[in-house]
Amino acid sequence: MTGIVTWARLKSPWILHMNCGSCNGCDIEILATLIPRLDAERFGVLLKGTPRHADILVCTGPVTTQMKERLKRIYDQMPEPKFVVAVGQCGSSGGIYQGSYCVEGGIDKVIPVDAYVPGCPPRPDAIIDGLVKLLAKIKEGDKNDK
Amino acid sequence: MNILLEILYLFIFPGFLFILGFGLFAEYMDRKIYARIQRRVGPPFLQPLADTIKLMAKEDFVPEKADKLILTLVPIFSLAAVIAAFLYIPVVSANSLYSFEGDLIVALYLLMIPTLALFLGGWYSGNIFGQEGGMRVASLLFSYEIPFFLALLVPALISGTWDMTGIVLYMNNHWLVFPFIFLGFVIAVISLQGKLERLPFDIPEAETEIVAGPLAEFSGRRLALLRLARDAEMVVGAGLIAVVFLGGPEPLISIEPHYISWIIGALVFLLKTLFVIFLLILMKSAVARIRVDQMVNFTYKWLIPLSLLQMLLVIVVRFGGWLP
Repeated sequence: MTGIVTWARLKSPWILHMNCGSCNGCDIEILATLIPRLDAERFGVLLKGTPRHADILVCTGPVTTQMKERLKRIYDQMPEPKFVVAVGQCGSSGGIYQGSYCVEGGIDKVIPVDAYVPGCPPRPDAIIDGLVKLLAKIKEGDKNDK
Repeated sequence: MNILLEILYLFIFPGFLFILGFGLFAEYMDRKIYARIQRRVGPPFLQPLADTIKLMAKEDFVPEKADKLILTLVPIFSLAAVIAAFLYIPVVSANSLYSFEGDLIVALYLLMIPTLALFLGGWYSGNIFGQEGGMRVASLLFSYEIPFFLALLVPALISGTWDMTGIVLYMNNHWLVFPFIFLGFVIAVISLQGKLERLPFDIPEAETEIVAGPLAEFSGRRLALLRLARDAEMVVGAGLIAVVFLGGPEPLISIEPHYISWIIGALVFLLKTLFVIFLLILMKSAVARIRVDQMVNFTYKWLIPLSLLQMLLVIVVRFGGWLP
């Protein structure tokens, strides 16, 4: 039974895309990941509009003070099991905004992050690679839970 | 009919299990052909099943502002109504198990329940997008429901019975009447697209405007059931059109033993249903979403007058005695 659920979870990652104060570079690359040429739907990836439907929160940006509460709220609205991918240098560590007075400096300062995709901005294939690594991690995690 | 056969009919074929499996297959076909038309690879074969299992295994979650009872009942009612409607559709032979005079009307009304349930679900979800979507569902209900009803009454008029069995028998004996009801067939397919809230009529759940409309607060197994209900509704609506316009499980030949003719009838029914679903997919991939007022204009200015014209044509042809 657990095996079937793990299989379904790996085959159907629905993502929710959220910009937490990014310069829009990473966001355009995330949208480029979903274009027909790369066709993320062959892995079951669908872009969803609401956190209630999503499994994976794909965040960009260094998390400005304004976005901190909103990021937390969106994360809380997602049903378990949920995973977070931080896309871009800023999302991973704060990037060039590190130490600034108005940013938190990375997604993982606010919510737990499962995978990081560095790059400024990362290429679409890097984002797909990050997603595949996250899926491998989910598989391992479900195996350990058994 | 003995009790074992009845249980088989209700739960396995063509009841519960068959309709769920066929619904998931229809969703796969929908997404795959849509992807191929866009020059993509498309999802793998078991993708709809994986989506459903994953959603079933997710956390069960109702927002604080939402009505828990309504949000629990809405998916169950939609799925139950759709499957109940399927029981009246003749699948293997001209007779369905529960056919009676007027079962076409009952099936049409049962197919309306998911829409009303979706409106309630959106309204009580406590989310502004859900309420907006629910209002759109309710306000667009009549713009596609009237042409759908009028179009499906055309075969009933021409064959002179409200009974789907009678319609199937008539269509098989008089298949030359199809050119006379072709307009009705087109109107029925277009308004079924509106009923299923697919492109270009996916106004209630326009994800670029109101995230997911009435579905916005549904998650986990409630969402899975609603998606299943939507898939099953597509199959049942297409099956209904295939039965009343295209003659359903034709050819009605009797080969001994009779289960062989049942198998042939079921296969023919499946092919015809898939053909109607294919038309729906082609329409979905050819057009973009229209606005609320454009849809109301389109249905009231074109679909309803055309379906009335079609009924007039059928009345003239039938009572003028010019039927082939």
